[in-house]
Amino acid sequence: MNSVRSLYKKMTYKHKIFYTILICCFIGSVFFVHNNYSFYDRPIAEVIKTNIEDVTKVEDLINNEDVLYTQHIIAELKNGEEKGMEIHLINEFSQSKALDNKFEVGNELLVSIDQNIDEGKERTGTIQGVKRDKYLVIIAWVFVFVLLLVGKKQGLLSVISLVFTTTLLSFALDIYVHQSDQSLLWICGICIILFTVVSLLLVNGLNEKTYAAIIATILGTFISLLITYLALLVTGENGLRYEELQFITRPYKTVFMAGLFIGSLGAVMDVAITMSSSIFGLYEKDNNISVQALIKSGMEIGKDIMGTMTNILFFAYVSGSIPTLLLYFKNASPFGYTISVNLSLEMARALAGGIGIVITIPIGLYTTIFFVNRKKARL
Amino acid sequence: MNVLLLLSGILFLLMSLIGGRKGIRSFFAIFLNFAVIMTTVFFMHDPHINPVMLTLAACVVISCINLFYINEINGKTKTAFLSTIITTVILILFITVITNKAMIQGFGEEEIEELGAFSFNIGIDFVKIAVSVIIMSTIGAITDAAIAISSPMREMQYHHPHIGRNELFRFGLSIGRDILGTSTNTLFFAFFGGYLALLIWFKDLSYSISEIVNSKVFSAELITILCAAIGVTLVIPVTSWITAYFLVKNKENS
Repeated sequence: MNSVRSLYKKMTYKHKIFYTILICCFIGSVFFVHNNYSFYDRPIAEVIKTNIEDVTKVEDLINNEDVLYTQHIIAELKNGEEKGMEIHLINEFSQSKALDNKFEVGNELLVSIDQNIDEGKERTGTIQGVKRDKYLVIIAWVFVFVLLLVGKKQGLLSVISLVFTTTLLSFALDIYVHQSDQSLLWICGICIILFTVVSLLLVNGLNEKTYAAIIATILGTFISLLITYLALLVTGENGLRYEELQFITRPYKTVFMAGLFIGSLGAVMDVAITMSSSIFGLYEKDNNISVQALIKSGMEIGKDIMGTMTNILFFAYVSGSIPTLLLYFKNASPFGYTISVNLSLEMARALAGGIGIVITIPIGLYTTIFFVNRKKARL
Repeated sequence: MNVLLLLSGILFLLMSLIGGRKGIRSFFAIFLNFAVIMTTVFFMHDPHINPVMLTLAACVVISCINLFYINEINGKTKTAFLSTIITTVILILFITVITNKAMIQGFGEEEIEELGAFSFNIGIDFVKIAVSVIIMSTIGAITDAAIAISSPMREMQYHHPHIGRNELFRFGLSIGRDILGTSTNTLFFAFFGGYLALLIWFKDLSYSISEIVNSKVFSAELITILCAAIGVTLVIPVTSWITAYFLVKNKENS
């Protein structure tokens, strides 16, 4: 308790206000998602009793063994005209739970209530989904608090930049969806410039390092996109299995290219800012350092970061396919077919991102040296 | 000619031109990592092996590749390796709780259409697979942050041999804060790029906010992004502390 008090004394007035507002937001939003039933049009029911009624062992055509359960659930309605009433639900789930869920007391479900029930009979319904909003809110707060705790001011700026990015992206997609004459690639191009300028300014402040990084990022992204585009053109997109691209309501090639564009942007920014801050750092330590020495050190730094950076993108893209890969393999799909159907686009994304990362190393290096020389000339 | 082959060729050329031998090693590391993921998926076939333990083992191998093969075995990479594993274990505990609660395993109703012909009762625990997926998508970023912190800390000790443990720890944290914004950005944009189609889908079919938030696909994606960001943030204090501890301890011993 004493340490908390001393910590409290150390905080400035501004900090105190900030943390008070933050904690109020936290408590308010958690309270809201636990009590927002009346905001839903769909009925919500909280499970109060479950009972496994039937267990069947099954084996499919490929000899995969699984167990199917039938669960009888009694739940209490939380909103609507029948609030507080009990509802009886039947839930079927498998041991693997790929498409279904096992429910326990306390789970909140989105349900639909059966109409035309005879007088005196139990109210029945079907399960439509799970209410997940409260978990999303809690994990979002964990994210914010971890970032603030570890990152302090920089953590706050990262959160702000991420919120800004999300809002801008959502806004840009709204424009795209509602005005079909706008090309997605143009919208993304403009977004990328805005994302770069805002994120780098927020993360690094108004200075020459940031300007160099912004120019390097924009050049790096557009050049790597050009290379990827030419590669796709030359090969006639041979080997890309677009049918794997899920959730498609639009021309799929544009959506894929735009995704590729945005996907590598973060990594390219990361490389650009690393290059520019470390080279400026070297220059600030020793104002008389030669351009040759800067190039040599810059290349060394570039070598150090290129491997791990390309791997970040690789894992972020490829891991998401693991459940689908398992499903294909377990359904006796041939190895080569499964890989090419499920991973061709992910691999293309990872490779294109890798090209972006590597090409930004020299671009970042020479852009920063240009700025260093300009600074030297002014002295 | 195959696009992937051409893109790999271009990447190899660029990496070897700019990175020299280390660049070539970095290039092959991608394919080694690919082999590790495939092997992991192969072992996940067996319903008797716990996928989460399997993923932890895969993470150990992947960190070895990313740290010891691309770089080399030395003080920096050893502490970065230890920090990566510790952070991954902490993250696994956290993710297991959240995936169990939010029920985001398996496939959403939006995805079933294309997979309709398949049998879904395949006897693998998809809840554990979901945990594995989230960990795997983060492991690259965690090793990157770990090495980015431990390596300048070592340089710091080299230039100031008498620096204390606390001061070294604080130096590590300050480096971590500098890379925090860009690391989380890298992950966020990577995921946004991957989910662009999904976002357009939601907008096109005019999902309401409550439908989006409660849908399995969206929740799963958002939880993956946030857990990944929590992972790269957690690795900062863990690496700073472990590196400071071992650097000072080794100094005292010698």
